[in-house]
Amino acid sequence: MPNIDRREFLKLVGAGGVGAGAGFMLKESKKDPTEYLIPYVVAPEDFSSGIATWYNSVCSMCSAGCGISVRTREGRAKKIEGNPSHPVNQGRLCGMGQAGLQVLYNPDRITEPLLRTGERGAMSFEQITWEDGLGQLAERLELLRAARRGNNVCLLSEGTNGHLAQLFESFMRQLGSNRLHHYDFDHPHTLYAANQGFFGQDHLPYYDLQNTRLLLSFGADYLTNWISPLHHSLGFGASRQRQEEERGRFVQIEPRMSISGAAADEWVAASPGTEGILALGMANHMVSQGVYQGADRAAWSAALSDYSPSMVAEQTGVSESTITRLADDFAGTQPSLAIGGGAAANHSNGVDMLVAVNVLNYLAGNVGREGGLLFNPQPAGTVSRPHQASYRSMLELAEAAQQGEIDVLIINGTNPVFTLPAAAEFREALDAIPLVVSLSSFFDETTVLADLILPSNSYLESWGDNFPEAGVGFRVGAVSQPVVSPLYNTRATGDIILSLAQRIGMSSTIPWTSMEECIKDGWRRIYEQGDPQTLAQGFEEFWISLLKAGVWGETTTGTTSFEPDQNIIAGIGVAAPEFSGSEQDYPFILHPYLSPNFHDGRGANLPWMQERPDPMTSVVYGSWVELNPTTAEELGLIEGDLVDIESPHGQVLAPVFIYPAIMPNVIAMPIGQGHSEYGRYAKDRGANPLEILSPQMEPITGNLATSATRVRLVATGRHIDLVKTSGTSRDLGRNIVQTTGDEGHEVSDAGLNSIPITELT
Amino acid sequence: MSLFSRFMDGWRKYRKPGYYDEFDYHWTMTVDLDSCTGCEACMTACQAENNIPLVGEEELAKGREIQWIRIERYWEGEYPNAKLNFMPMMCQHCDAAPCETVCPVSATYHNQDGLNTQIYNRCIGTRSCAVYCPYEVRYFNYYNHHWDSPLDQQLNPDVSVRGKGVMEKCTFCIQRIRDAKDLAKDDDRRRVRDGEVQPACVQSCPTKALTFGDRKDTESQVYQSMNNPRAYKVLDELNTDSSVVYLKKVDA
Repeated sequence: MPNIDRREFLKLVGAGGVGAGAGFMLKESKKDPTEYLIPYVVAPEDFSSGIATWYNSVCSMCSAGCGISVRTREGRAKKIEGNPSHPVNQGRLCGMGQAGLQVLYNPDRITEPLLRTGERGAMSFEQITWEDGLGQLAERLELLRAARRGNNVCLLSEGTNGHLAQLFESFMRQLGSNRLHHYDFDHPHTLYAANQGFFGQDHLPYYDLQNTRLLLSFGADYLTNWISPLHHSLGFGASRQRQEEERGRFVQIEPRMSISGAAADEWVAASPGTEGILALGMANHMVSQGVYQGADRAAWSAALSDYSPSMVAEQTGVSESTITRLADDFAGTQPSLAIGGGAAANHSNGVDMLVAVNVLNYLAGNVGREGGLLFNPQPAGTVSRPHQASYRSMLELAEAAQQGEIDVLIINGTNPVFTLPAAAEFREALDAIPLVVSLSSFFDETTVLADLILPSNSYLESWGDNFPEAGVGFRVGAVSQPVVSPLYNTRATGDIILSLAQRIGMSSTIPWTSMEECIKDGWRRIYEQGDPQTLAQGFEEFWISLLKAGVWGETTTGTTSFEPDQNIIAGIGVAAPEFSGSEQDYPFILHPYLSPNFHDGRGANLPWMQERPDPMTSVVYGSWVELNPTTAEELGLIEGDLVDIESPHGQVLAPVFIYPAIMPNVIAMPIGQGHSEYGRYAKDRGANPLEILSPQMEPITGNLATSATRVRLVATGRHIDLVKTSGTSRDLGRNIVQTTGDEGHEVSDAGLNSIPITELT
Repeated sequence: MSLFSRFMDGWRKYRKPGYYDEFDYHWTMTVDLDSCTGCEACMTACQAENNIPLVGEEELAKGREIQWIRIERYWEGEYPNAKLNFMPMMCQHCDAAPCETVCPVSATYHNQDGLNTQIYNRCIGTRSCAVYCPYEVRYFNYYNHHWDSPLDQQLNPDVSVRGKGVMEKCTFCIQRIRDAKDLAKDDDRRRVRDGEVQPACVQSCPTKALTFGDRKDTESQVYQSMNNPRAYKVLDELNTDSSVVYLKKVDA
């Protein structure tokens, strides 16, 4: 055999290749056209696609807790879909949930533990080992604990509700600290408070959108970001696809049309902050018209006497006839359901407004019945509810830091420097804390200010579990498992806490060596409370089937009876909303809303989300300020004109977008863009309206009244072309989107079997 | 027979409306505009499934986006009676497709299942098809797009990545159809069961507004759906005989 080196070999193969190629072409030309018209879009016949491995887990992109099935090939995650067995999302998944792959494979992830070397915020870090990083932190914590100054340690985490939350709790208790806060910008503090106040329940009820015949939504964008948007979307779709006579009707009450507003059958613009007054006006009408026949009718009548439809019409700007019509519809269509959220719930009167919504449900008899509002049983799994930090708690934390009461702050997965208004001075408070530790896997606005970064795994690389709050009306839990091995030198948040606990010597109370063990142990306790049938299979079997299914549930339901207390009835009332800034100086009300693409800003580093047009405006890669067409005309502004939006607390710059469905005295801005850090896709893009919010709060919960800031617009004289994917946003007689009301385009069989075109000859 | 006449023979065969009656499947999608909320979950699902490149802000400003499925929005009326209607728009897989007749190299053709299919390695990038498409659902690769590492690790191995100068568009997730057919064959079934294959957009839709299936199967969900009295086709007057049927929005 001749000695052929690699070059020779390639030459030979190359020559052979040419010959084979020519032969191939000759052969191909003789084939029937169907045979050679095989493109790469259709895989060649001898190509067999590989077998994918699917893992069931839990989505962590928002707090809804949808079940996911992740498709992996050769150890890489390829696609995230909904877990069909999970009752919350039933196989469906929103865009942001699917973009979780870009959290895992984001090029801007922090890959190693880092220690700050230069000034804070100067982004100078050196790589250290886990041993070193954990050692330094553990040493600090141990000293504080020994000195009985454990309370000077604060753990600030994103919302978690599974066994991780429980682990945080025992860890902090062992340290002697009661400063464990879960902080999410969009946590519905006011909704919890209103349900506690009216129903006496400390957890959310299940809102049965699927079976309701009439939904009144007071500001809740339930299809995009309210509690469990995927589950609500399923309910909305099911309602829409019923026979026409049973098709649910959806009414949306909000000053700026949201996605849910666009999907609704009717959109009603009420003055911002007066939604609760509107609800009580409807309640008044229902009681005075004798719709409500309960024994305590007189008490209701007295409590609601101030809210006659005429007076309410004046305050809300909604006509009296609309108020009475909606009230009659609401009482007459059974079952009906009223929900509240969004800007209306994040106002100075948010809790009272949501109580007013509960009143409507109670008076119409929607409480505890299918198609209305059903009480949930106590959630399974975790015993205590983690403390959710309101705006007020965050201010208290900042204050404590300024007083030197915080020595170590550990931040996990939350970005308060971005989501708190500048007026909260949280950034300044961080300066007063000697050691700031971030467990984030991204350089967000908070993490760049950290002294020590112990990067945690993405949720697709970690063990965890989740018990969806509000859920589906019965107990549901789901286990989150790693679908790929960690890409980088990162560790799961739970494992970081466990190794700290071990180093500090807490192994008697926190005995687990890994998060997997901790989760498994937690589920053993749930298993032990199971019925005999569950117990019969043995725990290992139960665990394996749980991991396979990804979800576990118990069809126990909550209580159905409810009688409101007389004192509660007498105390019902909604005050007029309070705004900061005078109407003369600041003529517009700022309406910041959670972006469907970026949520509270966490999605801004995902390129899919950046390039996905905003559903309502089709704008990509930027932010904008929405103006009513008449307002824009009065101010002489056109789309793309750059304006300064000034509040008493600062200003941001954004281009104008003319928005046909917003009140003339309201301007809206999406939340999510305007990052000064957070990786290449998010950094220096658009504006963050949260920066200029006034630090006004709802008095009961301390929730930030995000919709209570007045602003003025100052034209800069500059103009940019907004980058958006839509051309003209009007149909222009093309009859593209047809409705059943359309004349002259009746569908006939011909519509589906077009006249055949003349055959080509 | 000359190569050319063979080619013309095949051409005539494929231009004959209803020719796919001779084949097993006629894939069809229905879109219920009454259920669509415009949430765009379908868009992300499509991007993830089909290795659709991100073109960046500059290219988007030039109208060079690549979105096999997109949501169109149409405002109606003025404040306070303004309404917004959403419309998911993807390749309509027309049976009399205007794009197919204009391609000088026959890079776009109709396959046996009623799908309008693009042959990437034959496409020479004249963009004629995109001009002729009344639905504007054909997208051109102006550059060789790249994925910032390690985002490329997400790429779907079942779908080829398109290069510069090539036209691309919705395939009804042909790779999933292929897998389902293979599975049916392995199971000794002649046909794919209804619901066994769902394109990524249909699979993800949170309101179940999209339905996909074989319209030759009269038991199928899609057949039922397309015979809904609300059914219509977009720009039907152009006689494109599309395979995507829309259900009118209900004006309640």
